[in-house]
Amino acid sequence: MWHQADDSLLATAATNGAVVTWNLSRPCRNKQEHLFAEHKRTVNKVCFHPSEAHMLLSGSQDGFMKYFDLRKKESVSTFSGQSESVRDVQFSTKDFFTFAASFENGNVQLWDIRRPDRYERMFTAHTGPVFCCDWHPEDRGWLATGGRDKMVKVWDMTTNRAKEIYCVQTIASVARVKWRPERRWHLATCSMMVDHNIYVWDVRRPYIPFATFEEHKDVATGIVWRNQHDPDVLLSGSKDSTLYQHMFNDASRPEVRANPEGLSFGLFGDLAFAAKESLMAAEGGRKPCPGGDRRYPIFFFKKHDVMERFAQVSSVLSVFESDLDGGTRMDWFIETARRYQLSGRPFAELCDHNAKVAKELNRPQVSTTWTMLRIMYSDPGHPTPPANHNMSKLGNMPLMNSFSLKDMSAALNERNKENRQDNLHNLETNLNNDENEETEGSDGQAEYLFGEAELDDDDLYSIDHDNQAAEETEFSLPQEAFPLRHEIVEHATAPELPAEKAESPQASGGETESVCLTPMESFSLISVSQLLFQPRLLPGFFNAIVKDTLAYYAEQGDVQMAVSALIVLGERIRKEIDELTQEHWYMSYIDLLQRFELWNVSNEVIKLSTCSAITCLNQASTTLHINCSNCKRPMSNKGWICDRCHQCASVCAVCHHVVKGLFVWCQGCSHGGHLEHVMEWLKSSNHCPAGCGHLCEYA
Amino acid sequence: MFVAKTIAADHKDLIHDVSYDFHGRRMATCSSDQSVKVWDKSDSGEWHCTASWKTHSGSVWRVTWAHPEFGQVLASCSFDRTAAVWEEIVGESNDKQRGLSHWIKRTTLVDSRTSVTDVKFAPKHMGLVLATCSADGVVRIYEAPDVMNLSQWSLQHEISCKLSCSCISWNPSSSRAHSPMIAVGSDDSNVTYTGKVQIYEYNENTRKYAKAETLMTVTDPVHDIAFAPNLGRSFHVLAIATKDVRIFKLVPLRRESSTSSGPTKFEVQLMAQFDSHNSQVWRVSWNITSTLLASSGDDGCVRLWKANYMDNWKCTGILRGDGSPVNGSSISSAALNAAAASGAQNSTVGAASAGRKKTQLMPG
Repeated sequence: MWHQADDSLLATAATNGAVVTWNLSRPCRNKQEHLFAEHKRTVNKVCFHPSEAHMLLSGSQDGFMKYFDLRKKESVSTFSGQSESVRDVQFSTKDFFTFAASFENGNVQLWDIRRPDRYERMFTAHTGPVFCCDWHPEDRGWLATGGRDKMVKVWDMTTNRAKEIYCVQTIASVARVKWRPERRWHLATCSMMVDHNIYVWDVRRPYIPFATFEEHKDVATGIVWRNQHDPDVLLSGSKDSTLYQHMFNDASRPEVRANPEGLSFGLFGDLAFAAKESLMAAEGGRKPCPGGDRRYPIFFFKKHDVMERFAQVSSVLSVFESDLDGGTRMDWFIETARRYQLSGRPFAELCDHNAKVAKELNRPQVSTTWTMLRIMYSDPGHPTPPANHNMSKLGNMPLMNSFSLKDMSAALNERNKENRQDNLHNLETNLNNDENEETEGSDGQAEYLFGEAELDDDDLYSIDHDNQAAEETEFSLPQEAFPLRHEIVEHATAPELPAEKAESPQASGGETESVCLTPMESFSLISVSQLLFQPRLLPGFFNAIVKDTLAYYAEQGDVQMAVSALIVLGERIRKEIDELTQEHWYMSYIDLLQRFELWNVSNEVIKLSTCSAITCLNQASTTLHINCSNCKRPMSNKGWICDRCHQCASVCAVCHHVVKGLFVWCQGCSHGGHLEHVMEWLKSSNHCPAGCGHLCEYA
Repeated sequence: MFVAKTIAADHKDLIHDVSYDFHGRRMATCSSDQSVKVWDKSDSGEWHCTASWKTHSGSVWRVTWAHPEFGQVLASCSFDRTAAVWEEIVGESNDKQRGLSHWIKRTTLVDSRTSVTDVKFAPKHMGLVLATCSADGVVRIYEAPDVMNLSQWSLQHEISCKLSCSCISWNPSSSRAHSPMIAVGSDDSNVTYTGKVQIYEYNENTRKYAKAETLMTVTDPVHDIAFAPNLGRSFHVLAIATKDVRIFKLVPLRRESSTSSGPTKFEVQLMAQFDSHNSQVWRVSWNITSTLLASSGDDGCVRLWKANYMDNWKCTGILRGDGSPVNGSSISSAALNAAAASGAQNSTVGAASAGRKKTQLMPG
């Protein structure tokens, strides 16, 4: 340790118990001035008296502290800590006669140098060794101690009992602690092991270091502020055999990098948000970053501001819960999952049911899709009177198919050909244009013509004859229809398919603005059209479209629809979609269902799925071990007869018949029986129906 | 519309992370005060703190829940260079009267030599797997070979990312077509290092994680990263919180031959980029159907983003931390009509520009 007044005087302590002073101003090569070999073991610390020029204090592993006068050959006084080892000694900055000593057993003692017989005060500061202590340079009564328990504690020594006023928890045992000059709340620490960094803490905020020096590659062995009045320069030595002079401005500020906010979406669409209070209080403005201040370290007043701000932080935690009519809530999902029917009824009924459910939950596009699916895959059960009439004309359909319309569409055109020869040209060009512009052009054509076909001949005539002008607009429709269709999709996130189908002539003709078609409208219109061309469609005609639709739903995040439709359609569509994709959909949907704790639905889906990887899900890791209720021995898993006692094991205690369905039993006495019988029994009695006297409990 | 409830969190320092559990009924918060708190939602919708305990000897950066199949399990990571796994003990020791539960530490993962900045459990189908990333740029992937024994974790992979890592996100896809994938964000402040987001993919043949993609366009520090819930999609969506909010779409390109063992190639599209926070964006979070993205920034606001049918992302709402709506932002259902949409859009823009004016007054 350097002498505080004499630049050339230096004191060192050695592991052999020697305390040596060196005088660098000595002219000869041997600079050694004094050698005190009084300690028997390692001397951990030497300390010059802050104002008394010739006085030196040492603390040693042997448990003694010695006070040397450099003018004499040996120690003036010896203080016995009456405990193991002294790790640190520090003269008080406030009191001329007082010094603090920290001990390996966790104690800190205060001594008066005039009274070597007994310490003035002792208190336990840490659990485990106290490696260091440091008196506050200004607040004279404050003593900081650091220990192996990774803590730095600040004690107020002015009161009768030492009072712990601050406690900083670091991540490694504290080897050195030094108050920062001119900064009342700051102290620097370095660690003895593990951690190579040097931290400067604001004791008021003991959790995040105010600044960090990260230069060392190995543990720092000593730190010291270069000048008693300069808060900006810190020297440190390290086991990596380097000595660094740190400028405070170069230090990294962990707080700046620390995340001030937390945000998480809950399952039900609620949003938890935690943020630093100042961020919310300030009108949307980020506090100027400390970097701004760094350039002007002279303006202490501003610097203090940063410190104040640093010390006072807190977070506000709030939860945003979406209220009932919000679209973010997931109620629709749960309701849909609960109410959808996926099997057990004819296909058409399932579709209708699901369409109704979707409609009631205010999801028109899904509802429409269900209706469409029903139409596309139902056998036309109705008589088809117009079929013959059409068929005859459809015969020459290929001739008309010079432009790239779908067969069916072309046929429908054909039907109107007589009336529309001119317009068809118009249409044709439009459609071809569309095809160039839109990749979905072919779909667009189909859509338009669907609408066309829905009209009865009478209607067509009337339009043709009465509304010749309107006809023009109607026929330019396909082009207009594209933006329109997108509008629909945008608001309802409807897939192409239902939106296309929904393009009825009415909507396209006059009421283009009213895009909200009720599903029923389109339904009726389409069902008419279905009658017209269904008979000549191949069974798999719609597969491509339906496949796209399901994929569309999946990509839009509505895997529920994709899976439900997949199950309901079953064989009709299954081969169209590759196994891996299906499995992926199932997995995702099941995962969702389980999130919402919809176990029954999830199980139903697993059961109905056709992927082997899925169906095995509820066959895995479920094992029931059955013991015979008579002889209490494990039963083989075949049959109802216990092969040891040759009696029926699962006899209903109420009706004495073998239970072949749901068997419920009391886990206490192992008696039980048919679910309904036991329920009936329990209404009248709490005791076991088998008469064993057990007070049965059924979970 | 959202109803804001403020909860007296009573953390003594900044809260760094909030995390909902799988079923959305529990919530965990972690703070610089070295503690983690668990909140349970009562039937009446109130949140009650049911556990609060000291977890680390440094700031706790993140907390995350494991899939409930593995029990009530939390993982936390901290400035003290460790990550820890906690399990709730159900039994007599629980103080039922005060509604408190008991959490015990199952393991401490001490491999990192610097602050552990993020911790995430892998999707359930991969088993009980945990990834951590640390400030020295290493991503570590641990696995508990026996899911019943949470105290045994073996370090399976160490991926060196070169840059200081701040956040990780697992690709949640459960499809067999998608190999396990993890995205890593870096908060290195040096903008000359490009590619602050790296994506690593597990290779079945080499049994190692290999870099599949680097998003070279991201040059600013990345604070948070989140894959959208996959839900049967063929592609992946990744949200990134950096100086703005960015949404990337990763479309796996079909491989020419199944024999090629290299990592999957992706077509990376930037779907959206918003700087309306006018500041650092700290967090991004997806809702469960991945239709809505929430982001929070230094402006103290939460912004909600939603895509329309054409993958055009728009702001659909701004939430102030104290609950006051910034404008008439409403998350209305699908029936929103065009006029209203454009109206909301305008007002949002207005609010954003006002916010910009304010921040311009501030230096820095």
